[in-house]
Amino acid sequence: MRIKIDHLKCTGCKLCEVVCSLQHTEAVNLWRSRIRVFIKEDYCLPVIAGPYTEAMCNSKDVVLVEGKEIDGCVVCRASCPAKSIFKEPDTAIPLKCDFCGDPPDPQCVAWCDADALTICD
Amino acid sequence: MFGWKGKMLRIDLSRRNCSVEETPSDLIRDYMGGRGAGLKILFDEIDPMTDPLGPENKLIFATGPLVGTGVPAGGRYIVVSKSPLSGAIANPCCGGYFGPNLKFAGYDLLIIEGKSSEPVYLFIRNDVVEIRPAGQLWGKWATETERLIRSEMSEDFDEWELNNMSIVTIGPAGENLVKFACIMSDGGRAAGRSGLGAVMGSKNLKGLVVSGTGEVKIADVGGFKKAVMDFFEEGRANETLEKRRRWGTWSLPGRANKTGTQAALNFQSGYFEPFTKFEDPDFIRDSIRVRDEACFGCPFACSKRSRIEDLAYPGTTKGPEHESMALLGSNCGIGDLDDIYRANYLCNELGMDTISAGAIISCAMELFEKGYLPEKDIGYPLGFGSNEAMFQLMRKIALREDFGDLLAEGGNALARKYGHPELFMGIKGMGMPAWHPQGVEVIGLQYATNNVGGCHTKATLPFYEGRKDPERHVELTKQDQDYIAVVDSSVLCWIIYHGPLWGEKLLSWLQITTGIDYTENDLSLIGERIWNLERIFNLKAGLSKKDDRLPKRITDEPRVKNQVVHLDRMLPEYYKLRGWDENGIPTPEKLQQLGLEKEGAGI
Repeated sequence: MRIKIDHLKCTGCKLCEVVCSLQHTEAVNLWRSRIRVFIKEDYCLPVIAGPYTEAMCNSKDVVLVEGKEIDGCVVCRASCPAKSIFKEPDTAIPLKCDFCGDPPDPQCVAWCDADALTICD
Repeated sequence: MFGWKGKMLRIDLSRRNCSVEETPSDLIRDYMGGRGAGLKILFDEIDPMTDPLGPENKLIFATGPLVGTGVPAGGRYIVVSKSPLSGAIANPCCGGYFGPNLKFAGYDLLIIEGKSSEPVYLFIRNDVVEIRPAGQLWGKWATETERLIRSEMSEDFDEWELNNMSIVTIGPAGENLVKFACIMSDGGRAAGRSGLGAVMGSKNLKGLVVSGTGEVKIADVGGFKKAVMDFFEEGRANETLEKRRRWGTWSLPGRANKTGTQAALNFQSGYFEPFTKFEDPDFIRDSIRVRDEACFGCPFACSKRSRIEDLAYPGTTKGPEHESMALLGSNCGIGDLDDIYRANYLCNELGMDTISAGAIISCAMELFEKGYLPEKDIGYPLGFGSNEAMFQLMRKIALREDFGDLLAEGGNALARKYGHPELFMGIKGMGMPAWHPQGVEVIGLQYATNNVGGCHTKATLPFYEGRKDPERHVELTKQDQDYIAVVDSSVLCWIIYHGPLWGEKLLSWLQITTGIDYTENDLSLIGERIWNLERIFNLKAGLSKKDDRLPKRITDEPRVKNQVVHLDRMLPEYYKLRGWDENGIPTPEKLQQLGLEKEGAGI
């Protein structure tokens, strides 16, 4: 199972961040969420936490999204030493999306009223 | 504590220090939060007669128990202060991410007092509070200021945190104390009415940056999740909300115009021919929309980011919303969508309220066309529809140059100077918004009795059953004013939560989130208490019954549907229903019922 992201449908409401933190911590804390939405002028970019990497990349890439340059670190799913997100704020333990348990039932998808997040196999 | 954070942050700009206080439990009990709590603090701490632009006035950024919880459409904040435009209480509200960020930083309210000796901006990250110099930002337009602040921050924070923080700014209009300057945030959102941008400017406060990394607790997490899922379904089934989702308020200009209730040519008419093209709202959506831009936690994303192809207007802005389209468009005789966009863009960037700016400029246009305002005073012709002259005038207002200096003082100052005060379509000095009261009479009563002045946000437009029954106008107005006071104190979005069914919804969100067993009666009492305390503030600030009136054009000259607003009939009924005497002063019995004996002493 994978979560498909259609960033052009995302409105930036951050309800996915809310429900992810509720699911994993029983409180609303966006910094403990395994999904974060990056908000730009022309579009929003939901990014889902992938595996932790112990080392930073040694090349800083710039990627093009909708014709505009954006820092490659933003779209990278990895939790790494260079990033402030996808880490438990108090302990800095890396966070990773677990599809909300077994059987998988990702709450961010259920709460995405704009259909920017959908399940695909 | 569930819902609330239980802390408030006080920053004294004169002494350059700050303190954290507990949010008093009786404040929460009696006034909930947001608009109510801000009002009570302001009432207790300032003299209502104080100069709104003096250092004694305070500026309170307030959130409520539902902000940042993820309750759909619970992402707003309220700014409470004394208005330099009307001299009355001011409590504009605004969406975006600032309110939730303040909660995540750990505060229910942020109280700013005193006056800085030099331009500064505030940086708040959880328990770190810094007062930083802002000389380099002074004079900069609103989104440029945001961009510069972010680039200053980029040394200390990575892209993600820069993206997460929310920035509030004022534009040149606020710096120059234009009396209808607004507080801007998140790239084009505005706490618009009442001129609180000028209050920020008077304190030499250019901006506020808030980044919160903390949490907000919810009492019944399981119940909350289920209720939100149900809410999505209800939203999908609700035709009005589906319209909001697709068009925001863009479905309204065409409709209001078709029914003859659109403010046009300084309220001389309810119909403006060039607006017929907006009867298909997809015309606006297809022409200028970039994307739907949600406030925090809102599935409807009714606000639309927009852009036109014009190098003189680079980037994007938010809106124009219906009210801006009416006041800057039809009311100024401007029908071209790109021109309305330009006017809205300038207001957003200069940091001026679109409604007030439109109301004042349309007043100047009518004065000019009737020959009362000579061309030599302005420097160029300013008839209805003069787009370029209007754009030029807006810049001059914001910088207080030439003729703009007079307009920056507000519509009453302008209309009085040229001997025709009746030509400014304002209430308590504040320009009326888009809906022509002669089209729907109850709106007239709502505008006239509004504590902040001519504003559409403190009682929703009449969506209730019985709106066509004049007998029920007074009752519905009071009921809705009290209800919206609670919505603004929770703080939910009144644009989504208005109409007859929403009271129950608000009640259940409050119960689930805070774990307190509120009843409908509790809420209506809180709402009524807030409304009455605002009234007491206004009375003590020198306002009286004579300020609860509409422009003569609305009550005496039938311009729309051959109707006038019978305020003379409705106002005494309204006072009576409110438990106020014939002069609009709350009676001792009413004060006692609401627990406002101390506050109401001596009015």
